[in-house]
Amino acid sequence: MNQNQKRADAFSQCHPAVNFFYFMAVILISMFTSHPVLLGISFLGALCYAIRLRGWRQVIKFNLLFTLPAMVVVAFINPTFNHYGVTFLFYLKTGPVTLEAIVYGVVLASMLFIAILWFSCYNEVMTTDKFVYLFGRVIPALSLVFSMVFRFVPHFGAQLNVIRSGQKALGRDMSNGNLLRKIKYGITILSILITWALENAIETSDSMRARGYGLKGRTAFSIFHFDRRDVKVSVFLAGLMSICIIGFRQGILFAQYNPVIKIGGFPLRIQSVSVYLAWGIICLFPVLMGVLEDLSFRRLEKKANMERSLPWYMKQTGGQLP
Amino acid sequence: MLREDKLDTFLDAFLEGRENPPKVDLDFWEEAEKIRQPEKERFWDYQEILTAPKGKGKLPPRTIASVFLILILIPVIIFGGIRYWDDRKYLKVSLAIAFLSTVPFFMVFEGRKPQTKELLTISVLAAIAVAGRAAFFMVPSFKPVAAVVIISGVCFGAEAGFMVGAVSMLASNMLFGQGPWTPWQMFAMGIIGFLAGILFQKGWLKARKGSLCIYGFLATLFIYGGIMNPASLVMMSYAITKKNLLAIYISGLPVDFVHASATVTFLFLAARPMIEKLERIKIKYGMIQE
Repeated sequence: MNQNQKRADAFSQCHPAVNFFYFMAVILISMFTSHPVLLGISFLGALCYAIRLRGWRQVIKFNLLFTLPAMVVVAFINPTFNHYGVTFLFYLKTGPVTLEAIVYGVVLASMLFIAILWFSCYNEVMTTDKFVYLFGRVIPALSLVFSMVFRFVPHFGAQLNVIRSGQKALGRDMSNGNLLRKIKYGITILSILITWALENAIETSDSMRARGYGLKGRTAFSIFHFDRRDVKVSVFLAGLMSICIIGFRQGILFAQYNPVIKIGGFPLRIQSVSVYLAWGIICLFPVLMGVLEDLSFRRLEKKANMERSLPWYMKQTGGQLP
Repeated sequence: MLREDKLDTFLDAFLEGRENPPKVDLDFWEEAEKIRQPEKERFWDYQEILTAPKGKGKLPPRTIASVFLILILIPVIIFGGIRYWDDRKYLKVSLAIAFLSTVPFFMVFEGRKPQTKELLTISVLAAIAVAGRAAFFMVPSFKPVAAVVIISGVCFGAEAGFMVGAVSMLASNMLFGQGPWTPWQMFAMGIIGFLAGILFQKGWLKARKGSLCIYGFLATLFIYGGIMNPASLVMMSYAITKKNLLAIYISGLPVDFVHASATVTFLFLAARPMIEKLERIKIKYGMIQE
């Protein structure tokens, strides 16, 4: 069990390009279709993956505390301000409340909710090194700026401690004196930090120039390879995605809430079922991949443990009695 | 030590063995005093106006190009959105606007192959903004990001202002959580820095504490709030009507006021020391263009 936790998730070990395009595709499709079946499947996939990545306790706590209230508010705003639709339910001070507006409010709220859930997975999987690697070729200067920013933030924290210790030795620590003094010392420490940061940046840039940053023919080190598994995964996902696009063209994913609710793909036919199935596999793909890998690892582990605990006289025969 | 030309004449005279070296004045100390005299008046100005634009109100051609790109791109996208998707799909259109209006700045920035010094300074400023946003995490929307962005726009030009704004929003969202709001935040914060740079270069925004604070207040209230409020409306609901817009502006007003007052506070406290430090760095390491 311990080993499982140490190992990274299978999907996050894929090539960064696969991760990035997968998330972009799933998030954009979830945000731009208002089809209820699609949204439900997308929600299921996002929830499973978030739980797998961050643990169910954290996911549920975060969502109950922050996302659910926001969702309820959004779901109520729409019917109180918008009065389109044909099915009138009752009257409020702001006007008639319609079934269409309520349904659409719920759909919008769940869309926002799903997008946030997917983005929380994205934050876990697409770490900054992957982001910088992916965009290093296209936007080299900008991605350098990014990696520098991420490096500088903890660096500033460390330097702040150094400066504080120095000031402390001079008797100018934040813990000394009255409030005014404390604020004054704090500002001094910050001022020293910022001056140091700027000078340090210039020195770093001189050092980079001296080592030949930006010269022709220099390559960047990276540990990512587009291996055979990535090819398989991307072909598989692209195939499923094209099924979804065909379905979109045929109007299976069509959904309209104004003025009347119209949802494509019903009654269920073979095409619509296949589109939903394809979308379901896409959304659950990271989880499925992780579970399959876990299973295969466990099998290997069991085999290894068995071989290890065999007595020496049985080892030559590979565990089988002669 | 004598200065170069004087040293030359002195050495010529000395080496040729002339008795009286001609026109070697040894009172250059006093001359230096004379030269320094007008600087004292400038010093008085320096107290008030923290830094002055270089190149007398001329914008660099790249900045003008990016302004035009923005001015052309946004109507084209709006028109295209209405023409090809039906005009109900605000979310697509506005996301496309926010995304595509950030792209020209990045492309211009990439295209001119920026110096490492500039890159590093921009990343330090963005890191300061990110760290500031992280440091004030317990006070919602009371953040120093806009102040840092305005100061960098004033000191390093409109483009650097945009870069610092956009990069710091994107980077800090990687810590705080990305979402559909990221492109809007990037664009809004970037445009605050960009406008600060342009107005400063044109001489309409003086680098005084007072005028910076006024600009910071207005920019945070009307640019940042003015972009983020409709953005949240678009994220929550497709229906954009006058009434809805007004409602969301009014409901967003307290938050925007907190944000704007934070910007004013940080500008008031930090504008002078920050600008002094940045100007010092610029002079010390020769980062002044032209």
